Amino acid sequence: MSSTLNVVTSQEYKYGFVTDIEADSVAPGLNEDVIRFISAKKGEPDWLLEFRLKAYRHWLTMTEPDWAKVAYPKPDFQKIVYYSAPRPKKPQYASMDEVDPELRRTFEKLGVPIHEQEALAGVAVDVVFDSVSVTTTYREKLATVGIIFCSFSEAVKSHPDLVKQYLGSVVPSSDNFYAALNSAVFTDGSFVYIPKGVACPMDLSTYFRINNKESGQFERTLIVAEEGASVSYLEGCTAPQFDTNQLHAAVVELVALDRASIKYSTVQNWYAGDKDGVGGIFNFVTKRGLCKGKGSHISWTQVETGSAITWKYPSCVLLGDDSIGEFYSVALTNHKQQADTGTKMIHIGRNTKSTIISKGISAGDSSNSYRGLVKVQPKAEGARNFSQCDSMLIGQSCSASTFPYIEVQNRSARVEHEATTSKIGEEQLLYFQQRGIPAEEAISMIINGFCKDVFRELPMEFAVEATKLLSLKLEGSVG
Amino acid sequence: MTTMVAGPNLLADLLSGPRPTEWASLREAAELRLAGRELPATREEDWKYTDLKALAGLAFGPAPKATVDISSHLLPEMVGTRQVFVNGHHAPHASCASAVPAGVRYFPMSHASEACHALGSIGNGVAKGLFEDLNTARFQDGAVILVPKNLKVALPLHLLFITKAETPIAVFPRVLVLLERGAELELVEEHHGEGAYLSCPVVEVHVAEGAILRHERVQRESPEAYHLGTLKAEVGKGGQYHSRTLSFGARLSRQQPWVRLAEGAEASLDGLVLLDGAQVADTHSFLHHAEPQASSHQLHKCIVDGKARAIFNGQIRVAPGAQGTDAQQQSRNLLLSETARVDTKPQLEIYADDVKCSHGAAVGQLDPEELFYLQSRGMNADDARNLLTYGFAADVLTHIPVASLRRALRQLVMARTQATSLGDLG
Repeated sequence: MSSTLNVVTSQEYKYGFVTDIEADSVAPGLNEDVIRFISAKKGEPDWLLEFRLKAYRHWLTMTEPDWAKVAYPKPDFQKIVYYSAPRPKKPQYASMDEVDPELRRTFEKLGVPIHEQEALAGVAVDVVFDSVSVTTTYREKLATVGIIFCSFSEAVKSHPDLVKQYLGSVVPSSDNFYAALNSAVFTDGSFVYIPKGVACPMDLSTYFRINNKESGQFERTLIVAEEGASVSYLEGCTAPQFDTNQLHAAVVELVALDRASIKYSTVQNWYAGDKDGVGGIFNFVTKRGLCKGKGSHISWTQVETGSAITWKYPSCVLLGDDSIGEFYSVALTNHKQQADTGTKMIHIGRNTKSTIISKGISAGDSSNSYRGLVKVQPKAEGARNFSQCDSMLIGQSCSASTFPYIEVQNRSARVEHEATTSKIGEEQLLYFQQRGIPAEEAISMIINGFCKDVFRELPMEFAVEATKLLSLKLEGSVG
Repeated sequence: MTTMVAGPNLLADLLSGPRPTEWASLREAAELRLAGRELPATREEDWKYTDLKALAGLAFGPAPKATVDISSHLLPEMVGTRQVFVNGHHAPHASCASAVPAGVRYFPMSHASEACHALGSIGNGVAKGLFEDLNTARFQDGAVILVPKNLKVALPLHLLFITKAETPIAVFPRVLVLLERGAELELVEEHHGEGAYLSCPVVEVHVAEGAILRHERVQRESPEAYHLGTLKAEVGKGGQYHSRTLSFGARLSRQQPWVRLAEGAEASLDGLVLLDGAQVADTHSFLHHAEPQASSHQLHKCIVDGKARAIFNGQIRVAPGAQGTDAQQQSRNLLLSETARVDTKPQLEIYADDVKCSHGAAVGQLDPEELFYLQSRGMNADDARNLLTYGFAADVLTHIPVASLRRALRQLVMARTQATSLGDLG
């Protein structure tokens, strides 16, 4: 870029504070005793302990995947704290006012609407702090229409049959290295159940935060939408600034039955490390939705701006006839960040449709890859896919890659993939500047235009946040 | 196929014969790299979709010299410019290079002096493929073509590799093409055969500054053959390399072109694959934009019928600093039967920001609206389908400069797409 556009110093990570809360932790390391400890601590039934141990024993036989286009020091799994819970001052909270004030201040800094009275209209929040779900708002109101929205641990206690029926049904515990690890040690997460015919009256939201320096976060989310049900679910993530790497290995499972619809939106802003690549979160996440019923619909929307390393492929298994899978993604990398992200669309049922829109923006010394699979199985008569993967490069030392796998075994399928690469042109910037719009703002507008196909899929408050986040993240990278 | 017996290790078997005395050090180095290696398995990313298990169980003997009738392969534009190789050996009586202009060196490798040090050096610094090394270790013969500075060769040169296998044999054709600065050449390379055999050709190309090579490649191996080919091309500053690979034959084939572009160079790497029965055809291409301002264009089309499988893996790498790169890649696939299969993976790896790169992939069947349109003009359903299938293939053939070859290939494609009843579309 031309020297007439000045390099502005990069803005620091805004969410990098540490909350000093006494935490109830287990010593670092992983063995069957740690798993038994976690399970006992959470008062789990035997079948769940067995599920964990089985996953752990399988995990021991697996090796860490190395096919992604990311390079990082492999985590030492014996140095990670597998259980860290904010220690309550009192065993139970009578009201929100009794929650540790430090913790409340944390969420105020994050801007999480934890107080019910201050909550953004119509957003019910489950907050997961390190490993444990701290509070869930609006649950009574949701319960009146039969919706279950609670922490995963609670669901295990109050709705064990539902959890047992669906846990691991989309992402088996042996699915991959990180999913197996998660299955062994997950500590909490969110559980959502929408009964038959119910359209969830408000967006549901979870806020994840890693606070402990040595802790890993292994949350588990399970969303089940019964016949004709629908729900929109939002997920946000931040972490404090440490100069060590923390591991985040979550598993998200979605199940949509006949004509059910699940929309899952994420704004991921885990700490990405500093500009030299020191510290930051390793985000190794398995997200998969099963369109089990006829005419079911699962839509993933993600805005990935954080994490030192991202390894994430939210997928749809289109099993039911006429089911629809969608993936809308913006992935932004700057400095030394590395992202290898994309989706898988597995067409099994007849007349299944999928859409993939992926926008990758790389700046600084970062590496940004789209990796996707569109698979049409022999019985998937009339399957249809459209994929578009665009990359934008800002600066000369970043990279952008596209690895789309297309496997078609049915001739009536129609699969199309397009990818382009572009940059922000001098001429575009000049045009904006001629009209009195400063370069930084112009860049932000161009990027927003580049990403608009994805942003318009986001719920309103997330779209606003995502737009701000992108310009914030790119400050200083465009010279 | 019943004559084949399972060998303990195909690679070891193929290398068990004595090492030819010419090019000994080159061959020895290749053998060292091959030591302890096995045929690639599908768990390797590069061979994920192409299973060589069936090949691994076979045994191929040494290729004997043979004579064949080449009259059906002759092309009128190329009288007096052909070198013919039968079962990997040069066939002097079938060859005739009398019309080749003075200054052009065009002879079998067995006549070349070992001082031809460019052999085996194209793409140095890049890991050699297993079948490339196998060829280097055991190639029987091949062609050397040297075109001196600024010489523009008017007549196309014709290389014919014919394999006649009464019992299963292995052939390793080798070609080295060197174009000096400003030279221009048109080259037609054909592979034909009958019987069961393994062919592992290696073609090395060096196009110096401002030189232009047009390279037509036709693979019409026997339906029982395995064809595992390597092409390596380095294109100098402002040079041009245009290749078109037409894959019709072989039970299993793999084309592995690798092209490196220097500043301002141009390349096109087109392909047409026509498959039926249980054929498998794999194209793994690598286009390396190593320097600024180079452009590349790739159009790869597959028509797959029966239980056949087509695989495409097209990688484009834009190196750091290769600003001004223009790279366009298209993978288009037509499935004609219930059981046909296509696996395609166009890949972009970009390390420079001022570039224009795009790729596209599409898999599908004929457009029902186009079929309907032709039928509304009075064409019956079969003819409409065949015409559209032919049309899909034909656009790769349009720009073949050698008229008789273009015509012959069009006839072939028409026959394969049952479009012959439509009259002469050529």
